[in-house]
Amino acid sequence: MRRRLDPTTPALLGLPLVWLVAFLLVPVGIVAAYGVDVLGLGPGPHAFTFQAWSDFFHSSIYLNLFWKSVELSLIVSAIIVVLAFPLAYYLALSGTKRKYVLLLLLIAPFLTSYLLRVLAWKVILGNQGVLNTFLFWTGIRSPDDPVSQLLYSRFAVMLVLAYIWLPFVALPIFVSLESLDRRLLEAASDLGASRLQAFRRVTLPLSAPGLVAAFLFVFIPTLGEFVTPSLVGGASGYLYGNQIVDLFETGFPDWETGSVLALFLLGVVAVLTLVFSRFLTPSQVATE
Amino acid sequence: MNDVALSRNGARLLRAFFALVVVFLYAPIVILLIFSFNDSDFPSFPLSGFTLHWYYEFVTNADLRNALQTSAQVAALSSAVAVALGILASIALVRQSFRAKAPVSALLLSPLVIPLVVFGTSLLLLFHAIGMDLGVTTVVIGHIVITLPYTILVIMPRLQQIDVTLEEAARDLGAGRLRTFRSITFPLILPAVVSAFLIAFTTSFDEYAVASFVVGSSTTFPIYLYSALRFPNQLPQVIAVAVVVIAVSLAVVVAAEVGRRVAERRLGAA
Repeated sequence: MRRRLDPTTPALLGLPLVWLVAFLLVPVGIVAAYGVDVLGLGPGPHAFTFQAWSDFFHSSIYLNLFWKSVELSLIVSAIIVVLAFPLAYYLALSGTKRKYVLLLLLIAPFLTSYLLRVLAWKVILGNQGVLNTFLFWTGIRSPDDPVSQLLYSRFAVMLVLAYIWLPFVALPIFVSLESLDRRLLEAASDLGASRLQAFRRVTLPLSAPGLVAAFLFVFIPTLGEFVTPSLVGGASGYLYGNQIVDLFETGFPDWETGSVLALFLLGVVAVLTLVFSRFLTPSQVATE
Repeated sequence: MNDVALSRNGARLLRAFFALVVVFLYAPIVILLIFSFNDSDFPSFPLSGFTLHWYYEFVTNADLRNALQTSAQVAALSSAVAVALGILASIALVRQSFRAKAPVSALLLSPLVIPLVVFGTSLLLLFHAIGMDLGVTTVVIGHIVITLPYTILVIMPRLQQIDVTLEEAARDLGAGRLRTFRSITFPLILPAVVSAFLIAFTTSFDEYAVASFVVGSSTTFPIYLYSALRFPNQLPQVIAVAVVVIAVSLAVVVAAEVGRRVAERRLGAA
């Protein structure tokens, strides 16, 4: 029954909101302005035009790169969710007493340096890297015939991304399984359901929101990923995010086109977030 | 206790799978550890003897030390500001009732989903438009935006747990808003504030994507690492750094988690 217009609210929210408006919303607005050529790098007058957008939607290069990124992120996210589900299931439902210790064991690598975990795979996967030289040394492979294509490939990008995100994804699935009412499983069993039936008809549907959340937690950040591909991807692992970086950072910057690519990606992510917002509640994110 | 969720063999199978994944997660880190002591310019088999040379090299590497120092400063400053803003925002979201709560909290949490490449380029264009020089300050500005939602996600649940009557009692006894916050609310949320700070600090310390756009000619630790990764001759040294950084961050994470639990249990019992 509070009806006062409390002056405390603007006092509390003022600074955080001003910060986000100034350094998040305004910058995105500037990107939008570049995309329609209201602002530009070149000299001379700038007139409002959708030329860059129209070029973007008619260019096969950028759209193909975008679909390549979508495909790769979809595959990686799916693999990770499939791998993480049994891990979370074990922690939540096996009745192990050490579940929080094990959970921390699982998540801890996620909290260490991102770049250094990429570095580890660079050291391992190279043609003269740890894995190949180990095979030479043990005589399984001859030094003239290394397992190539390990590093600087789409495979490397997928492997490293899966490695990086797997620990993180177990968390939302764990939370949804943990909150599952076990009496429902007992009821299913009492009514004659086998474990498999109970799993299919009770556990899986009830943990679906957690699975969707987990999927999105990987899919959304990997869609614009450019750091891992630029380190281990080579030419075949070049993704949409790398294209954006190159449009801004090379010797011949094209900020108009880069802005269009960036804004398009942001739009896709925003739509995904809105459509699936009910799965992305903070309670799915917040750690135990 | 026999189980409706898992047969005994199923549990065994899952335990084995769990162990396998843990090996997969930690093996690369262990490999880094091994090769940080390996007396060879290239990390490859066979191992060629034990050395502390690489650790010595990086301790005496001035560029690297400067980069670490810059990152520590950036992380300390940006996480201090992010935590302060996060406390303000969390109190507003938990204690106040106002109409635009849904869009406000959506905006506050939106940096969680914005692609970093988009955010980085946006900031670059902003600083270009207002003519601000790129450097440490611009990285700090960006990192505050990125880490703010994490601090809110950590502080908000703790605030929700606190009994509002404690704050009301203080107010009834004549304490002002600030006094109530200082003597009642803040001590109670302190464990969450500390872990929010640590999360923000480690996130900023490790952040490359956004920094790469707005760092200018300064060098943070991730920026240094990234460029070092492109020169193989620096690899063993970087591996030694990697081992130290990973060990420290693992220790901080575990200590923070254990500390938070202990502190919250103690405060909960009080």
